[in-house]
Formats: sequence, structure tokens, C-alpha cells
Amino acid sequence: MNGPLLLTLIWVIPFVVALASLPVRHDDHQRIKMLSLAGTLVNLVLVIVLTLQFIDVAAISKVATEASLSQFHFVHKVAWFKIMNIEYNIGVDAISVLMMLLTAIVIFCGVLASWNVKEQAKEFFILLNVLVAGVYGVFISIDLFTFFLFYEIAVLPMYLLIGLWGTGKKEYAAMKLTLMLVAGSAFILAGILALYFESGLNTFDLQLLSQVRFSDSFQYWVFPIIFLGFGVLGAIFPFHTWSPDGHASAPTAVSMLHAGVLMKLGGYGCLRVAMYLLPEGAHMWMTFFLVLVTINVLYGAFGAIRQTDLKYITAYSSVSHCGLVLFGFTAMTFTGLKGGVLQMISHGLMTALFFCLIGMIYGRTHTRTVSEMGGLMKVMPFLSVAFVVVGFAGLGLPSLSGFVAEANVFVGSFANPATINRVCTILAVLSIVVTAVYVLRTVNSLVNGPIPFCFKELTDASLLEKVPVTILLFCLFGMGILPGWIIDLVNGAVHPIYNNLMR
Amino acid sequence: MILLLLPDLLILLLAAFILAFDLYKGKDASGSTVTFHASWVGLMVIFFILLNLPYDEQALYLGSYQVTGTSLLFKQVFVLSALFTVLLSGPYFTPGGNYRGVLRYRSEFLFIILLCTFGMFTVVSSTDLLTLFIGMELATIPLYILSGYQKEDRLSVEASTKYIIMGSLSTGLLLFGYSFLYGCAGSLTFEAIGAACAANPDEPLLKLGVLFVLAAIGFKLTLFPFHMWAPDVYDGAPSPVTAFISVSSKAVAIAFLLILVYGPLAAMHSYLQPILLVLAAATMTVGNLGALKQKRLRRFMAYSSIAQAGYIIMAMAGDAKSAYSSIIFYLFVYAAANYAIFFILSIIGRNGEERLSGLRGMGKGNPVLAAVLMLTLFSLGGIPPLAGFMGKFLLFAAAAEQGYYAMVVFAALNSTISLYYYLLLVKEAYIAQPASNRQTLTLDPIQKTSLALLTFAMVFVGILPVFSSSILAIVQ
Repeated sequence: MNGPLLLTLIWVIPFVVALASLPVRHDDHQRIKMLSLAGTLVNLVLVIVLTLQFIDVAAISKVATEASLSQFHFVHKVAWFKIMNIEYNIGVDAISVLMMLLTAIVIFCGVLASWNVKEQAKEFFILLNVLVAGVYGVFISIDLFTFFLFYEIAVLPMYLLIGLWGTGKKEYAAMKLTLMLVAGSAFILAGILALYFESGLNTFDLQLLSQVRFSDSFQYWVFPIIFLGFGVLGAIFPFHTWSPDGHASAPTAVSMLHAGVLMKLGGYGCLRVAMYLLPEGAHMWMTFFLVLVTINVLYGAFGAIRQTDLKYITAYSSVSHCGLVLFGFTAMTFTGLKGGVLQMISHGLMTALFFCLIGMIYGRTHTRTVSEMGGLMKVMPFLSVAFVVVGFAGLGLPSLSGFVAEANVFVGSFANPATINRVCTILAVLSIVVTAVYVLRTVNSLVNGPIPFCFKELTDASLLEKVPVTILLFCLFGMGILPGWIIDLVNGAVHPIYNNLMR
Repeated sequence: MILLLLPDLLILLLAAFILAFDLYKGKDASGSTVTFHASWVGLMVIFFILLNLPYDEQALYLGSYQVTGTSLLFKQVFVLSALFTVLLSGPYFTPGGNYRGVLRYRSEFLFIILLCTFGMFTVVSSTDLLTLFIGMELATIPLYILSGYQKEDRLSVEASTKYIIMGSLSTGLLLFGYSFLYGCAGSLTFEAIGAACAANPDEPLLKLGVLFVLAAIGFKLTLFPFHMWAPDVYDGAPSPVTAFISVSSKAVAIAFLLILVYGPLAAMHSYLQPILLVLAAATMTVGNLGALKQKRLRRFMAYSSIAQAGYIIMAMAGDAKSAYSSIIFYLFVYAAANYAIFFILSIIGRNGEERLSGLRGMGKGNPVLAAVLMLTLFSLGGIPPLAGFMGKFLLFAAAAEQGYYAMVVFAALNSTISLYYYLLLVKEAYIAQPASNRQTLTLDPIQKTSLALLTFAMVFVGILPVFSSSILAIVQ
């Protein structure tokens, strides 16, 4: 199929599904769920087709990648708003294709995992689809305006998704999350406008802007603005506080999507906008952000040790692992950038599975407190084994996806000869040990030991629930055992960004 | 060419017809809805005529009444605003239509609205300070009457009194400022004042005069520190009047300022820029912080519109083209969102006071209405893909073009604060648990159609580029 058309279809389909759900009767939950499932399935197929096409195209243009400054394929431009020469300008590189693949997998599993939503299911799935449409939109945009527009669309439905269907202190968490992310995008907006006017090109086109060499004094203040703006969504310290509350209160599918994909938008934006367009600014500020991100990695890990609620543990581990994404970027080496991208994918799969499993376990035990559980291996072996595996992925066991990504991140970071990089790398590596502590402790008290009386009658996962878990497990192993094709793709996409950084 | 003057003449005719009809019918007409239907049909006709006028031509009448493309755009805003006010006022004049009690003398109400709109037409057509002044007074004095229209209600009377006192003060300041301008230029025409400004932009008396004019218009535009009257007046006045004040009166004040700043005072723009930016920053902050704790929705809307005025003024730091295009575009967007909110207020106002708690349970009981409310609030908050986002983006861009990036950050953060209180309304509608004995909300056909139209506008103006580019084309 024609590439640009495919890209447009991918974000339009969720919107269409959302619109098609509108006339469905309010209590006809089955139909709404089937509609969403069908939509996400079609999307998954389309994204796989896109990936295959992309691999073909990338293989042809591989020779050129080392020196090239632009890596986008399937580019298509349509004038949109004449008023500031805003264009609907789409195209993908390997990073966005992989992120779209991740999104498609996670949302497909997410819809399956939220099959048990009973209250106001119609609104739930409509909002979920709008959110996903926004996420796809971000990944295909090359025009900064459209990029920002989709970014906001992806952030806002979260408020109601958490506020209405969440648990615990959901209203507080929803408000906190929304406001912090929107405040982040306030900085992004200013940054984008500054880039637009300072370049003098009268365009929001990323590719054209990346060729401009902005003055150093301009980069000096605009880089941190954009980096922090996106960093908020990437849970950069000290703006990570929305993440534990938000993820802990969100319903299962939303946690999966948010921690799995949406947080990656932050890292993606940092790389794609801040570092790609403002390389000199990146050099000026990297040490500062390196320190912040190291705090992220350690603080998240130590925070997870202190928690007793399963979702909070995972949320804090997300802060730590998302920190590793940015940690890879701040290394400013080729391997580091690559590692960051890999970590985005790996963490997306891993954390989605984590939240998915927690949702299923919570649906049975009705508690998320680790100390109240035990011996689950006896009553729900499937879920327990999956939990153990994903725990191992989290602590970076080889043959699982986490290892590939983390190895690249740490190698890349240590490859930067600056002392501060070396020191921070050593500190950050320590987080693996801490991660091992909380993961093993949690897994141990969850699946082993005597089983509380009240849990004796619990059942294992139903067939419907096994599907998403199996898919995600398969992906985790797939990426861990056969990472070659992903790394090849990522290499091609990181080259132009790296070349720009080193110009 | 009389064609360009047609809307102005028609609106006067319509006003005259309504007053005459009322006088002719006498007491029999008290329950009649003829004038109501005549006004909204008439306003619609005028709007369609406005749409079909040639926007690339301009004409000067009697040496002091000028019609240009931009003034026609402003007239569109005013006519639309009057139209929706008329439609909005329906239930307030029918017994049982509103919790606060029935309003009487419908024809006079409509007449005053139309007359007021004509005053606004005059403001945007003026070429000298005198016409500008007369237009502004004609646009303001009727509002004093309207805000006291709920005669038995103490709050309404208080609102009217407060508005008169504040309004008179502002008129006084305006005339005082004019006297300095006149003193410097020796004439009241924009041309002469423009020449005087260009010849000597650092003249202290000129600056003083401009400051007084700014202060005077600050009252009308609810700029900090002249915004204090707004919450009381908005709260006390009947809801349709509040809606009219919040849109039309604000729009005319902005038009007034635009005409002066980019017309006769263009040479002083670099002197005005910092003043306008400081005013904008203070105004949006005050509005946003004030709105946080409001439970009465009309008061809430007062603060929200104060904040919106701040964003709008910010764009006046930009050059003429981007300021005009972004501000006019935003006025349409803002008007649509504000009227949508006031229609929802009129719907919940049937069963009880127009308070935050009236929204409770809307998400379950009236999902469509709740969705409209949410879209409207998101549009006000500037969330894509709604029109409000594009509007704010253009306003911010106008300031950013001149290099005021810090101001853009500040305004965007402010708009995050505003999102907080807009979300509070969403939360009340969707998440808060309603009381069990809650009455269901009913909509009459006019409310349904209007809300549908407004929602349609909010969604499509943000997505389709045709609106913004046609405004840009006209402004150029």
C-alpha cells in the first residue's frame, strides 16, 4: 500500500472507531468492545505492514544513511493553515515505526485487558481511541505544529480516563497528571514558536529546521525549555511526581498505554525536537540533565523498594527505567542514543505487561498490597509465571528485551570519556542491583509462600486474558533473542541525529 | 456606494421596527413573541448580508464613517453576538424559564440590544475620536440599563449601579485623555493625531493622554487593575446580559484599542508594547487566580473572561497584521465558546441557581450536553483540535514574532492554570456524584440548535483552515 496513505489511515482509524462508537446504544457494551478490538486489530495489521514496507525501503537506502541528514521515508506534505504556513507533513523513520509498532501491540492488548470495564464502557473506549489516535499522530508528524497538536490530544483524554474509571485517589491523581503535563507542553509551545520565528524560514518542518544553525545564545535558553517540556512526560526528576500517582490510580488499559507508550512520547520529543534541532544547546546542557536523569534512575529504584502497593512499585520502576531512556540520550554517544531508543521499546513492552498482569491479579485478589498476597503460583500458575518473567526482564536478564537495551545504554554512556559521565554511569548501574532487590522481593512474596485462605478459590487467567499476556511475553522474548533487525533499523534512524549532534 | 452601509442601516431599521411594534401594540404585546422572532430572523438576515459584502473595498461616508474589510469582520462578531444573546434570552422571558424569576418588557430588551450593537458598529467605522467616543457611549450606556433588568433582584440593581459608576469614571478618563491628544494634534481626526504622533512620539503630554485612554478602555476590557467591577456585574446581571457584556462589550473595547494602537498611535507602538505586555500578564494572572475558587458560574465566567482579555491584549505586542488577524480570529472563537457556556447556564438555570453544583450528574443524565460542555471548556482552555487552541496559538505567535518568548511561556503557563478550573467544571459534570433527587435537564429546540451550531463552529474552525486564512486575507 502507498506509504503516506498508510500513515494517515493509522491515525484516522482510531478516530473513526471513536466516532462509530457514538451512535451505539449505551448499554450495548459488547458491540462497543468488539468495535474497538476490531479497530485496534486492523491497526496492528496496518502497522505490521508498514514496518515490513519500511524495512524494505530502509534496506535500499542503507548505503546513504551514514552521511545523510534526514532519515524520513513515506514523506507527504499537504498545506494546512496558510496563516503560518502550517502543513500536514507526515513521514516516519525507524524510531517512529518501531514506536508505532509498540503502540499497536500495547493498545491491542490494552483493549483485551479492559474487557471487564462495566461502567460507562462507551465513553471509556471512545476516549481510549482518541488517545491512541493522538499517539499515532505524534509519531508520524514531521511538522512541529501537528506534532504538538497530536501531543496535546494524547494528553488530555487521560484526565477523564483516570478520573472516572480509576481507583484510589483518582481525582487528585488525574488533575495532577493533567496539569503537570500541560504545563510541560506550555514550555514546548513557547519553544516551538521560538524555533519558528528564530529560523526565519516560515516553516514548522522538522527537516528544514534541522538544517538551520541557531545562534548559541538562542540555543542556550531554548534547549532546556523544550527538553524539560518533553521531559515532564518522560518523568524527568523533579517533574516525575505525576507518574506514581497517575499510574497507580489509572485503570489497567490506561496504565498500560500511559506507562508503555505515552511516557515514551517524552523521550521521543526530547530526541526528535530538542536534541535534533538544537545540538549545540544539547552540548551546553547535557551535564546538567545527565545529573537529573541519574537521580531519576536511582531515585525511582529506591522509591520502588519502599512501596508496598504493586502498582506503585511498578510506577516507580517506570520512573527509573524511563530515566534510563533519557540517560542513554544524555550520554551523547551513538551507542547511548541507540540504547535510549531500544530502552523506550523494551520498557514499553515490559511495563505494559506489568500493568496488565497487575490488573488481572487485582481483579481476582482485590488487593494490591504485596504483603497480603502469597502463594499465587498454586492457584494461578500462568499469571505467576508471566509475572516472574516480566520481573526478570525488568532487572535486565539476558535473552529478555531489558538486557539488550540496558547494555546499550550503559556501554554508550561509559563510552563518553568525560568524568561526570563515567561517575554517573557507575551510579546508574547500581540501580540494576536495587531493581533486582525489589523485583525479586515482590515476585517472591507474591508467588511463593503459603497461600492466604481467602485466595484458595481463585482461578487462573481465562483464555481472553491469556491472549494479551502471551503476545507481550512473546515480544519480550523476541526482542531479547532476536534484537538484530531492530538494532539495524534504529542504527539507520540514529545516524542523522548523531551526525547533527556532532556537527 | 451605499451597499457597504447596508448592515448598519438595517440594524437601525430593525431596532426601530421593534420599538414601534411595541408602542403600537401597547399592553397587548406583553406576552407576544413577535418581536423576539423578528429580531433573531432580522439579525440572521443582516449576518448573511454581511457575509456577502465585498471585503476588499472600502468606503467613507460623510467624511467620518468608514467601512473597511476589518470593520466588517468586527461587525460579524457583533451581529453574531447579538443574535445569540437574543436566542439565549428566550427562556428568561417565559414564566418558569428561569429560577431567578421572569424578566419583563421583552421588546425593550431587544431594542436595547440592537441599539447597543449599532453603537459597536459605529466604533469600528469611526475615523475620528468624536465618532469613536459616541459609538463607545452608545455601546455602553444601554448595558447599564440591561444589567439592572432583573428589577426585583438586589444583586441586579447593585450590578447596574456599580456598572454606571465605574462606566462614568471610565468615560471621564477617556475624555480627559482625548483632551491631551487633541491638545497635541489640534484636531480630532485620526489622520491628524497620527501625524502628530509620528512627528514627535516622545511628547510627554501625548504619552499622558494615551495612558488615560488606556486606563479608560481598561475598565471596559476588564484589564487589571480596572477589572474589579466585572465579577459583581457579571453575577448580578441577568445571564443573557452577562453573555452579551462578556462578548460584545469586550469585543468592542478590543476593537477600540486595535483601532487606536495600530491607527493614530502606530508611531508610539514601541512605547505601548511594554505597557500592554505588563497589563496582559497581570490581567491573565488575576483572572486565572480569581476563577479558582468561584462556585457561582456567572462569577466564574467573569474571571475566566478577564483572563481571556489578558491573552488577547498580549497579541497587541505584535505587528498590525498578526495582531488584527489573530485577535479577530480569537474573538470568533471566544464568542462561540462563551455563548455555549451561557446556553448551558440557561439550561441548568431552569431548575436551580446557576452554580457549579448544578452541573452535577450531567455526564450520566445528559451525556450529549456534558460532552458539549467539555468541548467548550477545552476550547476555552486552548486544547487541540478545538478552535480555542488555534486561536491561542495565533495570539501567542503574534507576541512571539516580536521576540517576547518569555511572555509566551508565562501566558502558556497561565493557560495551564485556567485548564485547572475548566477541568473542575468537567469534573463536576462527569465525576462528582449527583444528589438523588436531581431533576433532568430539558432543552428547547432553540437551545438545541444553537448549541449544535456553536459546537460545530468550535470543532471545525479549529480544523479547517478556511476561516483563519480568509480572515488573514481580509486583514491584509
